[in-house]
Parts: sequence; structure tokens; C-alpha cells
Amino acid sequence: MYLSRFRLNTARAGARRLLSSPQAMHAAVMSSFPHLLPTDAPAPDTPRVLWRLDQQARAEVVLYIVSPDQPDLTHLVEQAGWPAAATVDPQNPGWQTKPYTPFLDSLAAGGRWSFRLTANPVHTIRRKDSEPRKITAHLTPTHQMGWLLDDDRQQRAGFRILEKPQSRRLLPHGTTHHGRPHHGDRYELSVGDTRSLSFDKSRAPGGRRQGKPVTLVTVTFDGRLEITDPEAMCRTLTQGIGRAKAYGCGLLTLAPLAQPTRQTA
Amino acid sequence: MITPTSVLALRLAGPLQSWGASSRFTRRTTESAPTKSGVIGLLAAAAGIERGDDARLAPLAALRFGVRIDQPGTRVRDFQTAHHSVTGKSMPLSERFYLADAVFVAVVEGEHTLLAELYAALRAPVYPPFLGRRSCPPSGPVELGLHERARLEDVLLDVPWQASDWYRRRLLHQAPDKLTVLRERAVDERGATDALRDQPLSFAAAHRRHALRTVVTTHVALPPGPPDEWQGHHDPFEALPGALEDESV
Repeated sequence: MYLSRFRLNTARAGARRLLSSPQAMHAAVMSSFPHLLPTDAPAPDTPRVLWRLDQQARAEVVLYIVSPDQPDLTHLVEQAGWPAAATVDPQNPGWQTKPYTPFLDSLAAGGRWSFRLTANPVHTIRRKDSEPRKITAHLTPTHQMGWLLDDDRQQRAGFRILEKPQSRRLLPHGTTHHGRPHHGDRYELSVGDTRSLSFDKSRAPGGRRQGKPVTLVTVTFDGRLEITDPEAMCRTLTQGIGRAKAYGCGLLTLAPLAQPTRQTA
Repeated sequence: MITPTSVLALRLAGPLQSWGASSRFTRRTTESAPTKSGVIGLLAAAAGIERGDDARLAPLAALRFGVRIDQPGTRVRDFQTAHHSVTGKSMPLSERFYLADAVFVAVVEGEHTLLAELYAALRAPVYPPFLGRRSCPPSGPVELGLHERARLEDVLLDVPWQASDWYRRRLLHQAPDKLTVLRERAVDERGATDALRDQPLSFAAAHRRHALRTVVTTHVALPPGPPDEWQGHHDPFEALPGALEDESV
């Protein structure tokens, strides 16, 4: 497995085209693997290509890719990077790829990490019994967090989201005064960057729309977790969580735990 | 110092604040920094002290008060035309002044047990805190920590700079090198001071009374800002073995 990152040059039209459509970004990411055809469907229960866009500052957008093979992002550098800078220094082709397997093998139960995940939290609902169930996005932060905090989901994924120590909670029991759950106060978890995306999957020759656009609600979770099952965790890190994995969702990444900074006397 | 004192620090930040000290009738002005009566009132409200209860107010009013201007904000004027909700009669036209986007660190110094009680009260307030006027809620937790065996001057020197992110970013290359501090005179301090009529004597609804209070204006060197919250930064490459020696990209 490999972990790669590539910073997009947001001043370029090519980068804007990619940022404006997850479909275009998906195609660009998949084109980075020479022996993978765009029509290839990933085999079930095997590592697959996952990607995510992190906007760290207004003009600092980084694309992270986790993939079974080493990617060649030359075409991205040419369209949406800094090609001149990349040719000057042959050591630095404009992106960074590192082997991910040693890290995955080093994961141990009980290890604590800070994580980030962009996901597409959905559930299925129907308004009355006679109706078929429909996939529907979770729209509020409480439900979105509840989706990730679901016991089954956490167990299957091989981690447990840490609870906040009592001293850092604002609400004594992690619930509001009405007794409703308030996950953000109870767990080391925050939801940010909720986006409603709508884009066309493909266009017919002549630029006409084909069918309905794809609509998605994506959210970015930040938080801290503890690994409960290293094997399941590896699967989560290489196969992703939830739906819309082709559209920049489902990639979970870990980083060393920073010390808590918010001090309370 | 005769006895060691503790210091309770508050962060007063919100979209609007209004701290009146001398306004009367229909023109309601604001000072450029929180007043002692406003902050003591906030603490008394959190502790559940009723308006007419002067005896319970007295120990709070005896605390020594200071405020640091972390982000001055801008003064805005509101021309208010209100109507009585039942009779529909128009209320007197009034002018109300607010501070927009201001951030202050207010501290009170006094006996430890009293301040510990107030600190606990702020975490579970009886009446919710507001920034000088009922319509100005704070934008985050008000309490900023209780410092045992400390002096007000030292706490104002040490508490991290509380200005908002956008303000700090805007002043990235021209950050002020000092912050203004307005505080009460220490017991053993001499010298000329200003006076402001905001020492609360009674918050009774029928007849509020305030006495004069000393105000010493000083400056403290700019403390560093609070460290970034852990949510802001996430770099999966840091987790990989041997990530630290490689610093390209």
C-alpha cells in the first residue's frame, strides 16, 4: 500500500476544474495507475484506491491518496500543480509517495491516534410501511456524528472514538438539558466542512446532460480514536468507510496524537 | 501582599457587547472596555444572587478588578425604534451603542474560596451570562481559569492573547507589541489615577447605586496566542515511520 499527497495549485484552471467536480477528480486519480482501466470495478473486500481533499488554508488544498499500487501523478502536476518547479528538482516530482504497509503492520490494539475522515453519512428511511426504503443523507451534526459513533460501525471498523475527560465537558453528562445526546461534548469528535455536492456523472456528446446529477452530502470528521482490532483497522484504512468512495469519501487517516491544548484549571 | 490571593480570569467575547458606565435616558453609550459593575453583575447572576440582595453582592463588589483589551473591536450605533408589544404604543426613540467584534480578558482578584465558588457557578450558571446587555450573549465559554496564589497583574501578563483567529491573521505582520490594561489600584499603590463610577453598591431594580472606582491604565507585553486547537492540523505523513527526516513538499 502507498500513501501519497499532492498539493493543488488553486490558481490554475485545471485545478479548479478538478475541485469543482468529484467526478473529474475521481477520473484524474484513477488515471494515476497505469495498469488500471477506468472501467475496472474494484473487487469486493480488497484494498482499493481512496482519496480525499483537505483544505488546510484558503489556497492550500492537498489531495491524499491511499492505493495498493504506486501512483504516477505527472498528469496532475502538469494540469494542476507546479510543473516548472517539478522539472528543476528531479528528487521532487511535485508529489510525495510513501510506503504505507510498514505503518499498517505497526498498528497495535490500544494505540491512540488523532484521525480525519471525510465521509458520506446516510441512512435508509421510509415515511410509511407501503413505501420502499430510500437512502437519505444525515443532515445535522448530531446525526452525522451518530452515524460514525454507531457501535456496530465502530466495532466493524476496528476502533473506538475516545470520550472527553469530564473536566473538558461543558455539559455534565454529555447531554443537553432536555436529555438529548450531544456527541460533540461527550466524544473527542467534531464535524466540519459539510458540503452538499451536485455534479454530473458524464455528459453526452454535444454537452447535453444525461439523466439526473449525482447529489451527495459529505462531512469531515476530526477526532481521536483508540484501535481495538488492528486487523479490522487495516481493512478500514485501506478499504474505506461508508459510501461514495469514488467521490472522495471514506478515506480515514491517522496522525500522532497532539497534546490537548485547551487548558482548564 | 498581606494574604495570598487568587485570580479568576474571564474571556469576554461576542458579536456585540455594551458596557455602560455613565449613560442615562435614551442615549445608552458604552465604555471601550468592560466595566466592573458589568462583570460583577455577570458573576452575581451566575451565582444566582438576586437583584436586591446587597449583602451577598458586597463580597463580590470588594474583589479587585482588571481588564485587558485583547481586541478593541469597533463601536457601532443603533437607532432603536421599539413598540410596546401589547399596546402597540411607540417606546421612546433611543440610541444604543455597542462594541462589535471585541475580545477582553477580565480578571477579579480576591479570596480563593469565593473565587472557586464563582468559577463553579460560571460552569453551571443560575442566570446565563451576558456581555453588558441582555441582548449580547457571549460567543463561547466565559470562564478562562482560576489561578491560585496569583496577583491580578501577573495573570494579565500570562494569559494567552485571546484575539480571534481572523484578527490575529490580519495583524500577522504588524501585531501590536503591547496590550492595554485597565485595572484597579493595588492596596499599597500610590500615584494619580482616573476614576469611573462603576463600583456596584446595589443592583436593586428600583434604585441602582454605583460608587467611584480607581482606574490605572498600563500596558503589558503581547503574550503569545493560544496554541492551535488539535482539530486544525492533521498530517497523516507524520504517522509514517521515518517521516521526520523528510521535509520536502
